[in-house]
This record gives sequence, C-alpha cells and structure tokens, in this order.
Amino acid sequence: MAGDALKVSGLKKSFGKNHVLREIDLTLSEGSVTVLMGANGAGKSTLVKVICGHHRADGGSVTLAGEAFTPVDAADAIDKGVVTVHQSIDDGVIPDLDVANNLMLDRLVEPGHGLFVRERHLRAEAAKVAAAMGIHVDLRARVSDMSVADRQMIAIARAMARAPRVLILDEPTSSLSAAEADRLFALIDRLRGQGVAVLYISHRMSDIRRIADRIVVMRDGAISGVFEGATLDYEAAVTAMLGHRMTDVDVTVQSGTEPILEVSNLSLFNRSQPIDLTVRDGEVVALVGLLGSGKSRLAEILFGLSQPRCGDIRLKGQLYAPRSVRDAIARGVFMSPKDRGSNAVVPSFDIANNMTIPFLGSFSTGSMLKTGRQRACAREMVDGLGIVCQSTGDDIGTLSGGNQQKVMIARWLLEPATVLLLDEPFQGVDIGARRDIGHQIRASAAGRATLVFLAEIDEALEIADRIVVMSEGAIVGEHINGQVDLTALVADFTGTAPATGVSP
Amino acid sequence: MLRRHFMALAGVAGFALGAGTAAAQDAPAPLDNPGDVTIALVRYLSTGDFFQAYLSGVETQAAALGVNLRVLDSRQDAALQADMVDQAIALGVDGIIIQHGLTESMRDAAQRAVDAGIKVVAFDVNVENEAIPQIEQSDYLLGKMALDQAISDNGDSFAAGYVYVPGIAPLDRRHVAWEEIKEANSGISEEARIGTLDNPIANANANQARAALQANPNISVFFAPYNEFAKGVKIAADELGISGDMSIYSADISTADIALMREAGSAWKATVATNPAVVGEVSVRALALMLAGEDPGASVIVPPTLITQSFLNENDIRNMEDLGEKMPQFQHADVAMADWIRLPER
Amino acid sequence: MSNRLLDFAIRYGFLILLVGLIVYFSLAAPGFFGPLSAAFVLQSVAITGILALGVTCTLVVGGFDLSIGAVATSALMLAAYSMVILEHPTVVAVGLCLGMGALVGLINGLLIVKFRVPDLLATLGMMFLLIGLQRIPTQGNSIATGMTLPGGTVAEGTFSAAFLWLGRHRFDVMIERLLPMPVVIFVAIAVLIWLFLGFTRHGRLMYAIGSNARAAGLVGTPVNRYKIAAYMISGVTASIGGILLAARLGRGDIASGNNLLLDSVAAALIGFAVLGAARPNAFGTAMGALFVGILLQGMTMMNAPYYTQDFVKGAVLVAALVFTFYLSSRRTGTGH
Repeated sequence: MAGDALKVSGLKKSFGKNHVLREIDLTLSEGSVTVLMGANGAGKSTLVKVICGHHRADGGSVTLAGEAFTPVDAADAIDKGVVTVHQSIDDGVIPDLDVANNLMLDRLVEPGHGLFVRERHLRAEAAKVAAAMGIHVDLRARVSDMSVADRQMIAIARAMARAPRVLILDEPTSSLSAAEADRLFALIDRLRGQGVAVLYISHRMSDIRRIADRIVVMRDGAISGVFEGATLDYEAAVTAMLGHRMTDVDVTVQSGTEPILEVSNLSLFNRSQPIDLTVRDGEVVALVGLLGSGKSRLAEILFGLSQPRCGDIRLKGQLYAPRSVRDAIARGVFMSPKDRGSNAVVPSFDIANNMTIPFLGSFSTGSMLKTGRQRACAREMVDGLGIVCQSTGDDIGTLSGGNQQKVMIARWLLEPATVLLLDEPFQGVDIGARRDIGHQIRASAAGRATLVFLAEIDEALEIADRIVVMSEGAIVGEHINGQVDLTALVADFTGTAPATGVSP
Repeated sequence: MLRRHFMALAGVAGFALGAGTAAAQDAPAPLDNPGDVTIALVRYLSTGDFFQAYLSGVETQAAALGVNLRVLDSRQDAALQADMVDQAIALGVDGIIIQHGLTESMRDAAQRAVDAGIKVVAFDVNVENEAIPQIEQSDYLLGKMALDQAISDNGDSFAAGYVYVPGIAPLDRRHVAWEEIKEANSGISEEARIGTLDNPIANANANQARAALQANPNISVFFAPYNEFAKGVKIAADELGISGDMSIYSADISTADIALMREAGSAWKATVATNPAVVGEVSVRALALMLAGEDPGASVIVPPTLITQSFLNENDIRNMEDLGEKMPQFQHADVAMADWIRLPER
Repeated sequence: MSNRLLDFAIRYGFLILLVGLIVYFSLAAPGFFGPLSAAFVLQSVAITGILALGVTCTLVVGGFDLSIGAVATSALMLAAYSMVILEHPTVVAVGLCLGMGALVGLINGLLIVKFRVPDLLATLGMMFLLIGLQRIPTQGNSIATGMTLPGGTVAEGTFSAAFLWLGRHRFDVMIERLLPMPVVIFVAIAVLIWLFLGFTRHGRLMYAIGSNARAAGLVGTPVNRYKIAAYMISGVTASIGGILLAARLGRGDIASGNNLLLDSVAAALIGFAVLGAARPNAFGTAMGALFVGILLQGMTMMNAPYYTQDFVKGAVLVAALVFTFYLSSRRTGTGH
C-alpha cells in the first residue's frame, strides 16, 4: 500500500467539561478509502472540524505527508491540500451561477487573477476539470436547476480542482438516490485511482460495502474498532458503533391498552407498498429507517403537512384526515419536528414563550395573554425535564442544544395529546439530555400513542417498546424491545438481509 | 455656484458691518437695538435659482438691518411648514416672513402667529389675514410684458405652445395674461399645452416639450412663464435642432438663464423678471416697517423688468451682478422704504 | 462588571440620550423647554409616528412595507376628492380612506403570501402604483375648493368642519388650545398597537412568525393570515395618517407627504434600540419618532439648516442599528 497521507495521533478536544475527542489515532493512506462510522455524538464531526481547520485541537498532532499540519482556518487547510465537502452541499456551490463558474470559483478568488473574467478561457478550463472528474453536464446550466447529485458532484469537483491529497466527505449520500450515489462512488473510485486519500463519513451500510477499504468506528470520542482486510466484518463494525449501550437499556416494555392510532393500507409514495400500523394507548413505538425510508413522510402525513396517496387513518376509531397542522393539533395530534433550529426554535423568544407557543389560546383571556400562568407552567416543565437555566425568562439561544430540545419537547407535553409524534428528538442532543428526554417521554406515555422517528437503532432501543423498521416507503421489520435479535434488526435496518419475507 | 458663495460672503460681510454700525441712532424701537430682534423666514419652496436668490436678498437686508435671521425650510412639505410657524412662535421671534405655501395649511398657522403678537408678512401666498401684508411680484405684469414683447417680435398672429401647471398661485396669475392676449388676438392659436412640476422641473418639461414640438412643428412661439419651464423648452428646441425657428418668452431670471439666453442662436428671446433678491430685501423691509409700528400697506408690489436677449448681448451681461449694474431698476425696487432703513451695500 | 455596564448601556442608553438631548436643547435653545414646544414636537411627529407604528407591525412578522407613504398620500387625495369633488359627508370620506388602506394592505399581503413576491418588491410596486393612481382622477392637479375640473365644471365641495377638526382641533391642556388632535390619535394608536403586539396572543404569534415562520407554522399558527393582517394594519394606519394630513392641510396637495416613508421607517428602526429590545416594538417606535422630532425641533431652534438635520437623522439611525445588531448580539453571545 502507498504511503500515509494524513496521520492523526493522540488528538484531544474538549468543549468545557465535555471531552469530545479522547486521544484519537487515525491514519489515512494514499489511494485508499477509509470509512468513519459512529453514532450521533460519537465525535465524528468534531474530528473532521479539527482536521479541516475549523477547530483547534487541545492536544495531539496531525501530520500531512510527514509534516506537521496545523491549518489556521478552512482556507488554509485547502491550500495545504486537505479538502472537505460538508454535509450541506449548498455550502459548496453557488446556486445562481452556472456550472463552469462554480467549478472555477476558486480561481476567480485567487489574488492576481485579474479584473476581468476571461469567459472563453474560463469555460475551457472548466470543461477540463469536468472531464477529469467524469462529470457530464451542461456547463452553462445554473446549479440551482440541477439535481442534488449533480450539485454534490460539482461541489466535489470544485474541491478536486485544487488537486488535494486528502478528501473528506461528510455523509455525502445522505440526500442522494441509489442511482445518484452510484455516480458518486464511480467518482470516488477514480480519485482513489489517482492516489487521493479519502475519509468517508457514513453509516449507510450499502455505501460502506461499496467503497470501503477500511472501516474505523468511533464511539464516545474514541476509536472503538478498526476493520480492514479482504473481507470487512460489517456486523462487527455496527456492533462496535452501538457498543455496550445496546444491552445497557432498562426499558420496561409496555404493550399498551386500547388502539389509538390505526393506519391501514396507507401508501406513502407513488409506487411504495402500503403500510399498516397500530399504536396503542401508553405505547412508545420507534420508527427507524435511513434517510428516504419514508418515516419523515409518514410523520408529515400524520401531522397534516402532506396528503397520502391512498389508505386511511383512524384516531380512536374515528376517521382522521388532517388538511393542515391546525387540523392535526385540533384533533390532539402533536409533532415535535426534526431540525429544531429551522423547524421549532423561535430564536427571539425566551424559554416560557417558546414552550407555550402552540397553546397560547389557553394561556389567555380573550386575546390578552396571562403571562403569570405562562411562566408557572413553563416553570413546572423546566423542573420536570431538568432544563438547566437561570429562569424561564432566559433567551432560548442561551441554552445548550440538549436543553433547547427539552424545551421543544416540553412544548407538546403541556396539553394532553392523543398522538405524539417526535421526529428525531435526539438530534444534536448530548447523552445526558437524551436520557432525560427519553425518561420523560416514557413516564408520560400513558393516555396517548407515541411515535418516535429515528435514524439510529441505539436511540430506538433506549426509548421504544416496539421498533418498526422502514425502508423505501414500506415497513420491513418489527421488533419488540427487550427481546430484540440484534443481528436481525441491524439487517432489516441496513438492508443487508436477503430479501426474505420482511413484512411484519 | 460662484454667485452663491459671493452672496454668502456678502451676507457675512454685511452682517459684520451691521453688527458694528447698523445700530443706527435714529431707527425706531425695537430696531434701535437690532441685536435683540429675531425674524424667521418660513419657506415652502427652496430649490432653484429663484429661491436661492430670494434667500440671499433676505439675508443681506437682514444683515444690513442688524437683526437675527432664522431660516426654516419645509422643502415643499405643507404640514411641516405650518409646524415651522409654530416652532417660530415657540422660539419667540419678533417677526415672520412666510415664503410661499398653501393657503389652506398656512391660514391657521399665520393666525396663531398674529395672535401671539408676532408681526407677519407673506410672500406669494395668500393667508387671508388682514393683519398680514402681501409681498408680491406682479405675476400678471410678468406675463403681460413678456407676451407684449412676443407680439412686437412676432406680430399678432402665430402658433403658440404654452407651459402651465394649474393650481400654483403665481402661475395662475400669469395665466390670466395669457388668456387675455389670446382673447384680444384671434391670430394667436394655442397648439399645445404642457407643464409639470416634477423634479427636476426643467428636465421633466423638456421631455414634454419635445413631444409637443414634434407633434406640432408649426409652433413658432413658446410661452413658458417660469424660468425652469423655459429652460425645459429650450432644451427640447436644441435637441430637435429647431432653435432658429422658434422663440421662447418667459418670466424670472438667474445667472444660469442669462447664459442660456445668450447662447448663439438661442431660442430664448426675452424674459420678464423681478429680481428675486430685491423681493427678498423688500420682504424684510416690509417686516421691519411693521416691527417699527409703521404700515407698509396691505399689498407691497415689486415691479418687474423686461430683459431681452439683445439687451443682454449689447451690454455683454454675464451674470446677475452685471445685470444689476447695467439695469439699475433691476437692482433695487423703491418700495417699502424708510429713511432709517439701511440698504445692503452694493 | 463590564458586562453589566454594557447591559445597562444597551437597555437604557437610548432613553438616557433622549433625556440628555432634551436637557441640552433646553439650555442651548431658549423657548425649547415648555408645554408649547412639547406640543409642537408631538404634533410634528404624530403623522410619521402613526405610519411608523404600522410599519412596525409588518416588521414584526419579518416583512416590510414600503407603500405606507404612498398609501398616506393616496388617502389624502381620496379624502379631498371625496369631500371637495364628490361632496361626501365626513363619515363617508373617512370610511373610504380607511377602506382603501385596508384594501391596499390586503393586496400587499396577498402579493407576498400567495404570489410569493418578496415583500420589499411587492410594496415597492404598490408604492409606484399608488403614486400614479392618486393623480389620475385629477390629472395630476392638487384638489382645492373652486378648482376647475377636467369637465369644465368647478368643484363646489369643501372640507367639512368635522373633518378639519380631526386635524386641527387643539385640546385645552395646561394652556388653552395646546394639544392637537393628531397627537391624541397618535398616542391612542401607539397604546393600542403596544397592547396588541406585546400583550395579546396574536401579537406573540406575529413575533414568532417574524423570528421563525416555519416553526410558527409547525405549531399551528396560521402564518399567512397573520402576515396579511399585518399588512392590513399597516395600510389602515397609513390611511389614518393620510386623513390627518388632509385635515391639517385642508386641501388635496399632491406634493405633501414626500418624506413620510423615510421618516417613519427611520422611527421604526430607531425603535429597535429602545430598551435594548433589538426587535421591532411599538414603544420603541413611538420613542424613535419622538427622538427624531425632538432632535429636529432642537436643531431647527439652533438654526441648523435642513441638510445637517438629514445628516444627523441618518447618523442617529446608523447608531441605533449598531446598538441593535452589534451590541445586543454581543450581549447574548449569539452573534449572527
């Protein structure tokens, strides 16, 4: 195998008391793809951010081709040959410019480029870069008109135009279709052939199978497993990722009483298999699946944000077909959405107002708000969920991610729900807050049906009575917590199982 | 621009002079002690050569008298102008000159000032108050004299263009002269009527005039009874290359206008003007008379002067100062005078 | 310690500046301090203040209304047209103007919400449209009793005494005929909007929309309806401003109201800085309007020419925005 391109040894990083990286050792070799796996909060992103110059390490060293590598910022890292393509690709492209300009953008900002854009020259150069990358698109097309995969390709091609030695891809396929992902893999193969060291962050099994030369697994800020050789042991890698926590959970499984939510023959997408699902009073059901598995779609339909193709939903036996969020809330169906930053948090409000916003009507006489009652109720929730703050009048922005998420969940616990939908409630939440939230959801579960939508199996094992696995708009497996066959669950989840009868 | 500097200098110089010597022994109270007297000029219109010259006249005459002057400029905001009269009242000024404005908005404000014991004169706005003398340039005469010149130049039969914006008092009064002339001379036909007060006025009118002249190539005389209008018509005539075939008659004048009239082949043949600086001086003198307890009369009219292109060329007049020297009746108007009133230094 | 000082400066700096200004002008400009002068300051800010309160509502939902100045002048012309040419009674004229304001607000709102036109562009378009529209019925002329109409007839109607009362009446407070009616209306609207935005659930939801419209929608807020309502409030307050202007002028003057838009927007933006709110709020807007009014009155009394006043107005605005966006973000430590 060729030499080591990037070598990380003893890398340490903490945020306050939170040790995010503890002595990480990692080597990336030329012409090889290293896959980095790890559950949410394992420290993958922090590691990438340290390598690409976004954060400073607290200890340890990074060397690039044998020389010390300490970039002052992202631009410096790129200059030295370490290029990162982040998860949100729109950071990597400028949607309103055409492909050629996007590919050549870095040239345009170079000092000494000259005042005027030499259009013809620019397009010729861009065509060269595109050809080298195997990208076949109209160079005059505007990036905003292109598919996500094409944009991703362009972002990577742009990065490659700098001829880097190390390329870091952070969950690049998270928004790609299978066909689009294939094109990306072809590109990665090509780069590997050119001797680039690739660090590929993902926990999508199909990706990993396709491209990995080596798998490195992180857990709790440390490397918990390295797998390499002719045949990679994926199951062992997944187990290393989930770790001992799999057996650590103490969930007293409830089977629920009366059925509250009954979904029958519901078709999520045009050609997907219809699904049937029943959730009972007091039961917490986790719906797990990769991105694009249809779980977000199901949540949207239940919350009145989109309409199903066909099939019907019943709430306590009554037909339920919400046309809007207001309809859903009126029927007692509440949802805490994913991506709280863009979907839930009202940044200019304090804790009390953020918490009480869905039910301001019951906090007012006529139209006038009863601020005292708002504060009192918020106070109760703050105590119940252990939200760390000075007072309910604190700005939401002063809270940590976990505490913000607690406020977002508390919002929907203020009034009794018939069905409570929680979409990725543990996104960007530290382990402590995650336990608090899980505990509160389970403790208050009686009297409603609770559905939790998750992309991580270990999170599901922590909170759910029952785990329903979704894939491509259909339900492909169902497991009762406490008696889970982990191998079968992982197989359902990652789609590694042979296409046996997976309908529940 | 140069002229404005000059005027400002003159104002400062006059003020310095006034502070030293203008406490004329024989001036009646309260002007025997002019440093304690404050007058306010409350303006509605302020952009344009005319209004700048008017202001300079007010400044120089106030400086010559030695009184303090406050200038409150509402910039064509009628409600603000009324507020400014109130401000002046609050300031405790002794006299107010209201310069232009709308009757409806200024009537009450002017009455409040009179009620507060302040002496008020009004220039070019009728505030319907017997206690307030009107300073006027005779707009009717301005129009009449310009049109008489047009007839003596072009005969009593021609196709005419006309610039008019109704509802503006001085233009309405000039309009009366136009209607009379048309009545009296059946050979004069109004082929096109344009007019706008959109800023910049000259430019906006040029656009309209160009269209009118293209549509009516037979127009040989354009009556544009306001110098910004005349500028606009001249721009249009120049752009169409028909300056040689037509004549513009207007009212009002400024240094810039003199240059335009004297351009080779300029269509701008004559204008009739009252020196706005003189009007400014007269406004201050009328107010001074009132402060001293004398009566300037219900209406103070500043007579206009005819200025032709040929007169300007023959005397090689380049600016307003030249014009004042060569045409003494333009430099000074013998109205609202008293022995004790010190005139601005010439 | 320095944090507490910064906090104090952000919270009260603006009000302290306001008091300081009053003290300074009182000493420097004789005649500045007193009920008469105060009434004039209030009078001069009443109409822009009313417009600014409307803009505040659109700012709260994260929008912006550039059409308020044009709505006000349109209401001015409509009132004049209604009373002088159509000879309507006061109630009809006032009703027409308020209805026009609400309608323009509704159209603005629909353009923004339904047709997805960005707010600045939608209201800019509306502004031009209204500036033209208001002059069409009179062919660009001002409207006054006795004017000749395009048909050759003479307008016989007059502004009724009741209508003029709205703009000109002065209540006896301390001094006879001191407090003008527009000031009373300004204060009343300010209190109403202050209560509405700050203390009702509707106001709270509007702030939520302005801060994160998606999140507000996902808790069941009818986002579009509130946005349209905000533009309608803005339209109605602007038309009230226009009515008061018409009543003060007693004439449909086409040149009036040129500065209304910029002055009222400035007042609303300066209001961000009051009490360290760092967001649009009715109290701040009223204080912002007052601040500008006091500054201009004082400078006028100090004999400063109008262009220096514009300069100072701009400087105050920039300073207020720095207060709002820089210092406040430093305080919470959540820089953008």
